[in-house]
Amino acid sequence: MSVHRTHSEDETIELGRTLAAELPRGVVLLIGNLGAGKTTLAKGIVSGRVSADPDEISSPTFTLIHEYGHGIYHIDLYRLEEERQVESLGLDEIFERADLVLIEWGERFPRLMPPARTEIHLRHAGVDEREIEVLKRET
Amino acid sequence: MTTRTRILAIESSCDETAAALVEDEIVILSSVVASQFETHGKYGGVVPELASREHLRAIVPVVRSAMRQAGLEYEQLSAVAATVGPGLVGSLLVGLTFAKALCFARNLPLIAVNHIEGHIHAVVLESRRDGHPVELPALALIVSGGHTHLFEVRERGVYRLLGRTRDDAAGEAFDKVGKLLGFGYPGGPIIDRLAPFGNPRAIPFTFAKMKGNTLDFSFSGLKTAVLRWVEARDMAHEIARRKSLLAENSRPTTNEWLQVTPPMTLDLLASFQRAVIEELLRRARVAADSMAARSVIVSGGVACNSGLRAAALETRLGCPVHFPSPTLSTDNAVMIAAAAFPKFRRGEFADLSVVAQANLVLA
Repeated sequence: MSVHRTHSEDETIELGRTLAAELPRGVVLLIGNLGAGKTTLAKGIVSGRVSADPDEISSPTFTLIHEYGHGIYHIDLYRLEEERQVESLGLDEIFERADLVLIEWGERFPRLMPPARTEIHLRHAGVDEREIEVLKRET
Repeated sequence: MTTRTRILAIESSCDETAAALVEDEIVILSSVVASQFETHGKYGGVVPELASREHLRAIVPVVRSAMRQAGLEYEQLSAVAATVGPGLVGSLLVGLTFAKALCFARNLPLIAVNHIEGHIHAVVLESRRDGHPVELPALALIVSGGHTHLFEVRERGVYRLLGRTRDDAAGEAFDKVGKLLGFGYPGGPIIDRLAPFGNPRAIPFTFAKMKGNTLDFSFSGLKTAVLRWVEARDMAHEIARRKSLLAENSRPTTNEWLQVTPPMTLDLLASFQRAVIEELLRRARVAADSMAARSVIVSGGVACNSGLRAAALETRLGCPVHFPSPTLSTDNAVMIAAAAFPKFRRGEFADLSVVAQANLVLA
């Protein structure tokens, strides 16, 4: 769909705000290595949707799921190892009723992710530079 | 006729299903955490007590076990307390619904407790019991895998948020660095064990200046700096050796870890740990000064970190520092009971229609 470059945390948050208006309803996988900027981009997307302060949007690694109201969810499966564990979270229910579900490390459990989804790939491209690619998957 | 106040508390906000009985504010009659059941083989080995389904399996045996260990019948309870948030809604619901049902059936008052307030009160309970109570106003530094907060604690359960992490929690940074270096997950406790073998000044990690509230934390940049440091060196071989050690033996000893961890990596662990601790204590000191704190409370899972304990006692924070004992640092139900007692005294009971709140804030 589109490729973007950002050069600072602030720019990544700003890009997230812009994407917030464009992202379709449904699941968005944030894909990238540790430190690629997944949570930073999520700050921008969430704050673009629910008018929250980006400082209030933190990493859900430990708590697994953050709910921001208005049908916006931010999920992180980093610390889960087995499909069984992910299944026990009841993601299907969230997918059904949510407006926008941002998922970090969801690509590790492809069977449990909906085939129709948006993927945002983040790559570290130099000191503070990030390449951020938005893809739409239909099947 | 008894005049004792006894509270049964239930905690199920994240991975742990826990129940405890506390009498007259400071006497711990029992404390059960679901992971203790592992030895029963009931849960088939290393299954994390995760999400509602796992909590559902654990809740009845955990509460029964807490009651039995305390030698109490439900008739002898004064109230039931449960965590209402923050946490996973599905997990919170299990403990809260169980507590509501018990209150309804036995005509007992229900007390709704914030998980973070529980961490603060674990320390209040132990400090009173041990004869050196926390003096208010106190600064509370709550550090765990999911939280990094600074609160001003005043009389009558009044709290004010002074600072918090904007990205990763301190415990999360420990656990992620541990995992990327091949120490498994969560790796925080292993880093703490190995850090004393390295040079904490070998790598000068720095923190970017914070815009906005100067009492906020950010650990994401430090995590990324460690990752870049590792990527710039050829560490794949030693990381693979550690992963295979962990595959053979789920709980290696410190000596076994040392055999697969070269001095340079020990320096990295020591430097990383020092950076986190200094960052936590630097902001805690500024916060304590800003509110003229008469004592400092450090609680949450990272309060187990021996490096943090030692540094907090050495650093001049300007007032006494209180830590919980290790078993009350990580999630447990004693802390929920401890936070429930002042509410019981003030008659702050929850309606049975109270709901679990995933994003509940303390202040």
